[in-house]
Amino acid sequence: MISAYLDGELTRAEASELFTHFGSCGKCVAEMEGMQKVRTAIRSLPLIELPPGLLGDAEPVVVPLRRNRGFLVGAAAAGVAVVIAVATLLTPTPSALSVDDLNSRFGARVSLDPAFGPAKVVVPDVRDMTE
Amino acid sequence: MRRTLALAAAFTILPATAAAGADLGDLLDRSREASYSAEQVINCSTPDGVRDAVVSLEQIGGELLVSGEVEVSSGAGGWALVRDGALVDSASVEAGSSDADLTYRVDDGAAHPFLDREAGLYRLYAGDVLRGELIVDSETGALLSVVTYNSDGDVYCERRFIEFDPTPPEASAGTLAATETLESTGGSALPERLGTFERLDLYEDDEGFVFAYYSDGFFSFAVFQTPTVVELTDPGALRLEARVYARSFAPGQVTYSWETRDGGLALVGDLPPDMHPEVLEGLAQPYAPGILGRIWKNLFG
Repeated sequence: MISAYLDGELTRAEASELFTHFGSCGKCVAEMEGMQKVRTAIRSLPLIELPPGLLGDAEPVVVPLRRNRGFLVGAAAAGVAVVIAVATLLTPTPSALSVDDLNSRFGARVSLDPAFGPAKVVVPDVRDMTE
Repeated sequence: MRRTLALAAAFTILPATAAAGADLGDLLDRSREASYSAEQVINCSTPDGVRDAVVSLEQIGGELLVSGEVEVSSGAGGWALVRDGALVDSASVEAGSSDADLTYRVDDGAAHPFLDREAGLYRLYAGDVLRGELIVDSETGALLSVVTYNSDGDVYCERRFIEFDPTPPEASAGTLAATETLESTGGSALPERLGTFERLDLYEDDEGFVFAYYSDGFFSFAVFQTPTVVELTDPGALRLEARVYARSFAPGQVTYSWETRDGGLALVGDLPPDMHPEVLEGLAQPYAPGILGRIWKNLFG
């Protein structure tokens, strides 16, 4: 509301209400004074002329706000896509079979093999055994 | 009368001839029927280093109990792994076809005492290449020692009894847990032959994998076609030109696993390393998609 007052955007009634509030709010008064000082300092800066030829003959282009908004939406969508892609890459897909499953099925079928017995003894590698 | 005597003599001699007559099928059949307890040393020299183990065996009624760091019961299409008294994994399958054609010639049967017992030494040849040596107990038919060779003559795996008791174990060798039985089916993208190996059985599971069993009459392996890649723990690698296969050796067994365009393939078997390339080349090749391909595959399969 202070900013609006400084910009001259308040009605008379609103300004009166604001000053009534200032009577009981020293912090608000200090804030208004601080903002005024900043504005005064900015306005006191010298104006600098742009060097000739900096802009050339280019016609000023007015970029509609809608286009900027589209760019931001596109960038956000691209960011989300990157996050999904990384997550997809890093997330391991569930394995339908484990090494134990391979061993058990192979072992079951081997027990029907004519050579089944001491020649086909398989000791599962304990490193591969998962709980 | 003379003719009758001759026939009787022939029938008397025939079984003995068959037993010592270098027929691999007969040797293996006898071994399956044997009952005994034993301690076995397994020592395999693999391209990725030595893999060895010492296990206790009990075989009775065609069922085999292997005890070591874990217990494995197997027989008649069943398999169960027990650790610390708890069932870790089990499976059951039915055979759907006859045995593989024997591709091996068996020589000798010469006397070869082993563990102070009468035994015979039989050599297995594929053509002129020595692939195995079996030492068979004369009394029980048990395989006391099995040595398998690479084609260059180097030993691949040696399985040797260091203790042997022909007394049949008192109880059943093991307890095979009841589990759902996979039945053999027909038709698959998996080849009917891989090198000298013949596809004997094919199984399809509700979980979405296909499993085929191959044999050349002595060595055997299974190929699994899975929706995703089976991860091996601390694997080595086999490179065949630009193709890379992850593999892991255990005592007496090798496991391969690799990604394909349709999911994953895995191979588990006891075949010597020099046979691996020919078998692997008959299967779908490893597929290594780029980053975009992997995203696409992960998202849409």
